[in-house]
Amino acid sequence: MLICFYEVSKVYPNGATGLHSVSTSIRNGEFVFLVGPSGAGKTTFLKLLTREITPTRGQVLLNGRNITRLRPNEIPYLRRSVRMIFQDYKLLPNKTVYDNVAFALMVIERPDKQIGPLVNKALDLVGLGNKVHAYPGELSGGEQQRVSIARAIVGAPLVLLADEPTGNLDMETSWDIMELLLRINKGGTTVIMSTHNIAIVDGLKQRVIELDSGRVVRDDEEGVYEGEAGYTSVLSG
Amino acid sequence: MRVRLATLRYFLVEGWKSAKRNVSLVSLGTMAVSIFVLGVFGLTLMNLNNVNNQLRSGIEIRVYVEDGIEDQNLKALRQQIENTDGVDKVIHISKDEGLDRLAKQLGEKAGLIDILGENPLPDAFDVKVLNADLTSDIASKISDLPYVAGVNFGQEFTEKLLKTTRFVTIGAVGLAVILFGAVTFVVGNTIRLSLAYRAKEIEIMKLVGATDWFITWPFLIEGMIVGFMGSFVSGVCLYIGYRICIGRLGPVVPFIPIISEAGPVIKLCTGLVILGVLMGVFAGGLCTKKYLEI
Repeated sequence: MLICFYEVSKVYPNGATGLHSVSTSIRNGEFVFLVGPSGAGKTTFLKLLTREITPTRGQVLLNGRNITRLRPNEIPYLRRSVRMIFQDYKLLPNKTVYDNVAFALMVIERPDKQIGPLVNKALDLVGLGNKVHAYPGELSGGEQQRVSIARAIVGAPLVLLADEPTGNLDMETSWDIMELLLRINKGGTTVIMSTHNIAIVDGLKQRVIELDSGRVVRDDEEGVYEGEAGYTSVLSG
Repeated sequence: MRVRLATLRYFLVEGWKSAKRNVSLVSLGTMAVSIFVLGVFGLTLMNLNNVNNQLRSGIEIRVYVEDGIEDQNLKALRQQIENTDGVDKVIHISKDEGLDRLAKQLGEKAGLIDILGENPLPDAFDVKVLNADLTSDIASKISDLPYVAGVNFGQEFTEKLLKTTRFVTIGAVGLAVILFGAVTFVVGNTIRLSLAYRAKEIEIMKLVGATDWFITWPFLIEGMIVGFMGSFVSGVCLYIGYRICIGRLGPVVPFIPIISEAGPVIKLCTGLVILGVLMGVFAGGLCTKKYLEI
């Protein structure tokens, strides 16, 4: 198993429950959708994997290593193998597409001669090889998300976490991004994606973990967005 | 820790860009004034120590011997003084020699001595000590010896001078602590501006796995640059100001041994610049560490 959650609970300082006794595991190379209403614990789940937060109880294992016990100076090295993309892309507006991606390698002190080929390869993979000199402000939302994905995969991480990556995109662009994420997953990278996009989850038939009030309420191998007593029916009905 | 050339270039460029963007005339001025005031205290201390050392190197104990002492007792007393711990040299000043010296000191008024008739001065010894700090102890021991009428070593003046030096030292240390706080605050504010300006960049750096040291270095360099700029200005002003002051003060008070050589003053000013740089680095490191902990 690549990722294991053992009885993981997270209670925030304000008393809000992020996760409640969650136990689950994810194999190397899997594509997993995290679904559930806002506040269900999806982002908490992802943040535990990047060690932005630590659990109140339980253990999170990555490749057999308990990452809840990492010393602060070990966390950067974890984040080199667990990368994350966001709904708001988090690109640097004053840097070109190329520089935004190269930045992720430069700050982890990869040798200069490695940076150029790796950045070009990542940009080609996301289909932006012809826009290396453009600035984020000159790109569409979908293109900006592609840059963000290129930045995340450029260091060949083990795991790619995506926190609602299609949240700001129209349906057509969202499918393009999904196609890209699937391609990255086929290359061997484990992808865990939180989403509210019903069509995408239902269309791709990947593993679905549904969270509600911090608990895993469903874990289907080839799941759909809405379970038998899914919350969307409650919301819509 | 091995730093690659490209990484070093990144640190320097980012540090310089941030310093240029965020440093203000007010923060530089505050820093320069703080370091300058510290420098004034430093120069005052240096000069007080110089006066102190010069006076202390000339300190002698004058030992007055009881009148009518026999030669063999005088020789024995000299032997006892010479054997006292801490004594370097003993010079005998006979009654006649003492009178000659007094006549020289009185100058035109030397005629007054004739009024006295016979020589009223006792035999005496001038005692040089090995360590000026022990003068008072040695004088006390000598005064207990037989046939000693009294001792004198200008203790009041030297003690006052020592007290003043101590007072100025305490003042300078206290002031240094306050100014250190002020400089840390001023440089810290500049660094905080840079941190706020680069918040998104730092967030991304943390997300992609940059170490805290990598993130901190440009801010240390920024602190170094701000610290250097502020302290360099005050160091130069202090040096020029001091040269002007001693040029005017020297002829007015020639009896005070003011430091007039450039060497020690340049050393002090260089020390202040180094202190400013270190304060800048300290403030940069402190603010960044606090920011990264949040």
